[in-house]
Amino acid sequence: MNSKFTRRGFLQTSAAAGAVLSAPAIARAGQNFSGKEIRLLTWSDNTGLAILENIAKPFEEKTGAKVIADRTGSTSEMVAKLRASGGRAQYDVITLAGVGAVELAGDGLLAQPDLNKLPNLTDVDPRFRTGADGHGIGYLLWTGGLIYNTKTFKEAPKSYAEMWDAQPGRLFMPPATWTDALDTVYATGKMLGGDGTNSDEAFAKLAELRRNILTFGENPGQLSELFRSDALDIGGVYAPAFFAKELANPEQSNMGATYDVDEGFFADLMYTIMPKSKPGEDDVVHAFINYTLDADVQGVMAEAVLNGPINQKAVMSDAAKASPFIIKPEQLSDKAVVHDKNFIADVREGWIQTYQQTLS
Amino acid sequence: MSNSTLTRKQALAFAAPAFIAILPFFVACLYILRFSLSGEQGRIEGFSIDAYRNLMTPFFGRSVWLTLRLAFFATVIALMMAVPLAFLLTTLKRPVARRTLTVIILLPMILNLLVQAYGWILLLGPSGALNTVLRNLGIIDRPLFLLFNETGVLLGLIQTSLPLAVFPIVSAVRAISQEHLEAASSLGASNWRIFRDVTLPLLRPALLGAASICFAFNASAFAVPLLLGGRRVQMMGVAIRDMISPLFNWSGAAAAGMILIVMTLFLMIFSAWLVRLTTEKTKG
Amino acid sequence: MRVGLLPAQGGSYRWVMLTLATMGILISALPVAVVTLMSFSAAETSGFPPSEFSLRWYGEVARMFSNEDASSAQSVVDSTLTSLLVAVIVMMISTVVCVPLAYALARGERRIRAGMELLFTLPLVFPLVMLGIAFLLIAEGLAWELGIWRIIIPHIALVLPFVLRNCLSAMGGISVELEEAAISLGAPPLRAIWDIVVPLMKAGILAGLIFALIISFNEFTITFFMYTIDVSTLPIWMYSRTVSSLDPSTLALSVYIIAADVILILLVDKLIAGRANLF
Repeated sequence: MNSKFTRRGFLQTSAAAGAVLSAPAIARAGQNFSGKEIRLLTWSDNTGLAILENIAKPFEEKTGAKVIADRTGSTSEMVAKLRASGGRAQYDVITLAGVGAVELAGDGLLAQPDLNKLPNLTDVDPRFRTGADGHGIGYLLWTGGLIYNTKTFKEAPKSYAEMWDAQPGRLFMPPATWTDALDTVYATGKMLGGDGTNSDEAFAKLAELRRNILTFGENPGQLSELFRSDALDIGGVYAPAFFAKELANPEQSNMGATYDVDEGFFADLMYTIMPKSKPGEDDVVHAFINYTLDADVQGVMAEAVLNGPINQKAVMSDAAKASPFIIKPEQLSDKAVVHDKNFIADVREGWIQTYQQTLS
Repeated sequence: MSNSTLTRKQALAFAAPAFIAILPFFVACLYILRFSLSGEQGRIEGFSIDAYRNLMTPFFGRSVWLTLRLAFFATVIALMMAVPLAFLLTTLKRPVARRTLTVIILLPMILNLLVQAYGWILLLGPSGALNTVLRNLGIIDRPLFLLFNETGVLLGLIQTSLPLAVFPIVSAVRAISQEHLEAASSLGASNWRIFRDVTLPLLRPALLGAASICFAFNASAFAVPLLLGGRRVQMMGVAIRDMISPLFNWSGAAAAGMILIVMTLFLMIFSAWLVRLTTEKTKG
Repeated sequence: MRVGLLPAQGGSYRWVMLTLATMGILISALPVAVVTLMSFSAAETSGFPPSEFSLRWYGEVARMFSNEDASSAQSVVDSTLTSLLVAVIVMMISTVVCVPLAYALARGERRIRAGMELLFTLPLVFPLVMLGIAFLLIAEGLAWELGIWRIIIPHIALVLPFVLRNCLSAMGGISVELEEAAISLGAPPLRAIWDIVVPLMKAGILAGLIFALIISFNEFTITFFMYTIDVSTLPIWMYSRTVSSLDPSTLALSVYIIAADVILILLVDKLIAGRANLF
């Protein structure tokens, strides 16, 4: 029995009809993809929602193409699912964290985008243009720092060392399986005077925290509730991007975040990728990827989800420019730690295990 | 003696549809078994027992012990509440009251665990309702940590497995014949006495069924330890989820899954045997 | 008059039983009660208990339904319909296969019964994430166009333990003499089973039906792996909204899902029990 509901089919035709009516406007914008479809897979959290609003919708309006979005899961869940479905990809474009792109590229599941069809790349900081052996196109920078309670800290903490002064039961840490946990080990190493790779020392120091940890922040929603009810003081390394709404309103949420710590903060490039056997048309998909790098889009997205834009000409509002939570390209040089993917691949498994065993 | 109205052939015919329905699951089981013996972590290729060998660490051992312990206690406590609930459910006369109670007991199965965990944080979190009240009354001056540790996980496991325990027992309670109880009561037996000597023995098969279903369910739980354990309680379900993603060690996850299933089966067979032993003794 | 289980008077026994039952009710209902209360909060992100009440979040949810985004693959209306269809099919198939099995087991050898019970409990023991991956790998390996059945087939396996247990418990109290009497009066065995045993099993069957319905309707983990852009369910849709923020509109949405479940339960109850008044 096949029971696909026909309603979606109906909506598509009516959308296409609508697009035909407004064809002159599209023609002026340059590209016309009316009647074409793109299937997009993205995160389920608010970063995914922002993509729908700030990228997919304007793209539809501009080109007449239709973006069908699936917002489910975290990067690792996406990778697990894509791996299991092997050759039969349902999606044309996927946005995900760097680790995921590297994993999938390693499996040979990704196509290499044609850089000539992505004119906006020329404005992108050369460090962040491509990755995963040319299979990933840079998208935005995911950044991690310290999250703190604005009631406890009148001024933003200046070092990860503050985590060791937290009261018992008022500290949170990133879960072992997140890249943020590796960052935390790295930051601890630097705090102890090393270069970050001195993990034995770092783990010995981290072990002191064990009794003070209330929870490992698997779920940002829970953390935000714990801060709101004044049950947490500090924690990290964690991404302020999860708390865009809360950080804008510290009186209510008690939440603050800082990148300005002695040991530096962490930046991870996120990618847009296209699976090898994508159902959609090459040109539309490239146009979409190119659009994610548009100077206006990058500015709007940076503000919406507190990610760092990689387009050097990103157009940001004054508020966004002043926001301490958004890392601008020029701020990246001095204090940002951008891990080498090979380094991460080398230490990952061992660090995850040791982290788990020392702390839980 | 045959207490059956069915011939062997008929019995097979009766069982066949259910076997067809569960067949895909057994295919999946075999697939997982095969995966656990794979030489590669991410796909099935070659044979190797490395996946099992890599699990033989004290850390994993502790996780196994923790899983069994929590699942056991949660099951016992859930059963202790399920029996009175089943009595209450069968005693209530008004259909409205009965239906309300039924729905309440089913609630934990309906609501997204993420949302339920949020409810628990508001109630039992370090600054939740309970801690605030206790602190205002001057009973405590440091918050009680009821969540993000084993207590929290135990609570969550009891909650999620309670409906699984109640309903099989309800069916069995309904089946208890009134004469038994009336006879015992007319002989002047006390309530506790009737409960111990008449009700419990009659309910024993249902209790065992409920217990094994709860135990199995609890032992493989992963959302509860993840959300209410704050990830500090490493039950096997969590370890397996981590191996599937983001570690992508699928053969390891399959091996851990096989270990979990073998252990649970062993315990269930053991308890079934134990019960048969005791019932046969009382009969003989 | 019923005797025994919960006597109207009688000291410690009644007290202990009622206390335990109350604890059970509290454990089941408290988080839901809190969440429901919060969903009526008037504030953006307020503490508990809320200081002011309003229906604004319910309005928000209603808007979510009415001007839903056509570009979202996971349309809430489609998802709800798929969920319902899946749940009803799963419920029917699992019950139809379990009732005869339960009968055969209850009347068969005890050893076989114990073994079968164990066998049919297995789907509960396997960690769902692992099962989800396995089902997906198998389905993709076979490359069959399964449509909605890619969700139904694993769901059936998941609900069988519950349906079978409930049917078996109900069989427990039905003595063989009843059928034998009917058969000795000239009824064909199958007829005797259908007319005498099945009506007596009704309470258990009904409980099984409801479990199957609820589990399938709310199943997330396996569905997460098996869904596609075209076949997606309500819990998947819900997940994409709850995973990051627990704002009151999410809570209002949860209350809506609870309501949908309760209506389903009552509907099944009416349909099945309406004729026999057993539940």
